[in-house]
Amino acid sequence: MRGRIMDAIFERMGVNPNIFFLNADMGINLVEKFGEAYPERYANVGIAEQNMISISAGLANLGYQPFAYTISNFIIHRCFEQIRNDIGLHHYPITLLGTSTGYDNAPLGPTHHIVDEWGVLKSIPGIDIYCPSSVTYATRLVDRILEAGRPAYVRIPKGGHTEPASDEHMVKLPGETDDVLLVSYGNPAQVCLEARCRDPRLSVLVVNRLHPLDEGILAEALTPHRRIVVVEDHFPVTGLYGSLCEFAARHRLGGQLESVAPIDYMFDVGLSPEYFYKKLGMDAYGLLKLTGN
Amino acid sequence: MLHRARASHLGSNMSAIEILIAIYSSVDCGKIRDQVPDRSRILISKGHCAAATYAVMAHFGILPMSLLDTYHLDGSLLTGHVNHTVDGVEHSAGALGHGINVAVGCALGLRSRGYTKRPVFAMLGDGELQEGSIWEAMMFIAHMKLNNLITLVDNNRISSITGTEQIIDMRPLTARFEGFGLSAYEVDGHDVGTIMGAISRIREGDRPGVIICNTVKGRGVPFAEWQPIWHYRSLTDEQYAEAMAHLDQVEAA
Repeated sequence: MRGRIMDAIFERMGVNPNIFFLNADMGINLVEKFGEAYPERYANVGIAEQNMISISAGLANLGYQPFAYTISNFIIHRCFEQIRNDIGLHHYPITLLGTSTGYDNAPLGPTHHIVDEWGVLKSIPGIDIYCPSSVTYATRLVDRILEAGRPAYVRIPKGGHTEPASDEHMVKLPGETDDVLLVSYGNPAQVCLEARCRDPRLSVLVVNRLHPLDEGILAEALTPHRRIVVVEDHFPVTGLYGSLCEFAARHRLGGQLESVAPIDYMFDVGLSPEYFYKKLGMDAYGLLKLTGN
Repeated sequence: MLHRARASHLGSNMSAIEILIAIYSSVDCGKIRDQVPDRSRILISKGHCAAATYAVMAHFGILPMSLLDTYHLDGSLLTGHVNHTVDGVEHSAGALGHGINVAVGCALGLRSRGYTKRPVFAMLGDGELQEGSIWEAMMFIAHMKLNNLITLVDNNRISSITGTEQIIDMRPLTARFEGFGLSAYEVDGHDVGTIMGAISRIREGDRPGVIICNTVKGRGVPFAEWQPIWHYRSLTDEQYAEAMAHLDQVEAA
């Protein structure tokens, strides 16, 4: 996923002189080529994420469309004031590229669990937030961002999943009945797809653009279902569950909205995301049990 | 402006007047007014210095003088911290430790665009130097040899509630900046000619530079000078009359 996005940026730098790439000393064997090919449009700012965001704003003042890359927790949590004031207030077309989502860094502990970052960003007016669930969506994403010319955050999951092979912001895989809809994004979306393989009655809605939500498509996708279960590797209050509760209240949707997600930090070692999925009932078995199978 | 609007930050604005005059005297203000892409960039990192900035911009023809009458009043864009929706203001500020970092991006961008000689100015407060992001900027400026970036510190030695030396003593300031690899000059911050001389030396030199401008918070208003409370207080009618009488006397002398 990450490689596809980086390749797309690198390729576009060759034809678009307004792209500037910055990183905060992250991305070994990945970012070097930017500096080698385009030294005048590349900077490793060092371990100084706040500086990277404000520098990006200065570059945007010069007409650049900067991409700023590091690990998701560092680029969001540490830099919220820079993102709000230097990007958001100015509506600068700066893209924050955050690698890792949820429990991608499972054994590294709670400072590296990315479970509460994009939800705080959605409070900034005019920002687009993406979490590509498949390489198909990731491949087209860079062009979409460049065309939109708005502030953006890309939450990049580890892995290179190929399903659902669609470049739509929302992809619905209907089940045999309209009873239960699982709504998810990023790596947990794969778990939902697995659950649907085991129980074809389940419907799944994969959301690639988390904010803003396409309300027309969303209303159509949610309406038939009695139970809507949001499965996410992010705190639900600020996450997609929160967005859907707000949406459902405004549109007077009647379905029952449920959440499967972490609600606090985890301090134990898990060698893989699956350890935490199981603990949270976010594995396929847990989802099947919850939905009555 | 401050009196009419019952606005605060008198002290911080009065200390920076001559620094602002020196900066705007060093650039092509017509290019700033017309937003020409290769214009010099001026970043007001101590964003609460808005009244003085707008006044100096108007003096140099970037803003219409009549606009100043709306400062800090309902519906005006002239907010109490510099606001980029005002023509000629590059970037909104107000939270400290941002403007200098944005200036770094401007300097990098100008160099990348091939405008290597076009200067970028950033004006900081000395209290602001307590923000860690400032030093992230300094490390980067020196490492990248951003010689077109000139940092000016309004060293009025008072921040919010007391003297900066009582809060975090940063002396000797010039040595700290030099330790980060910049050339540092210490000047009388109320002497426009001296500040401009230091600007010229940095522009002719081969290192990025910082100018420590020693100033008096509340300069020109005797009862406000060196008094931290004038970061917050607004002038009564009597105090305004007294202040103006003193300034008229200074002008006449």
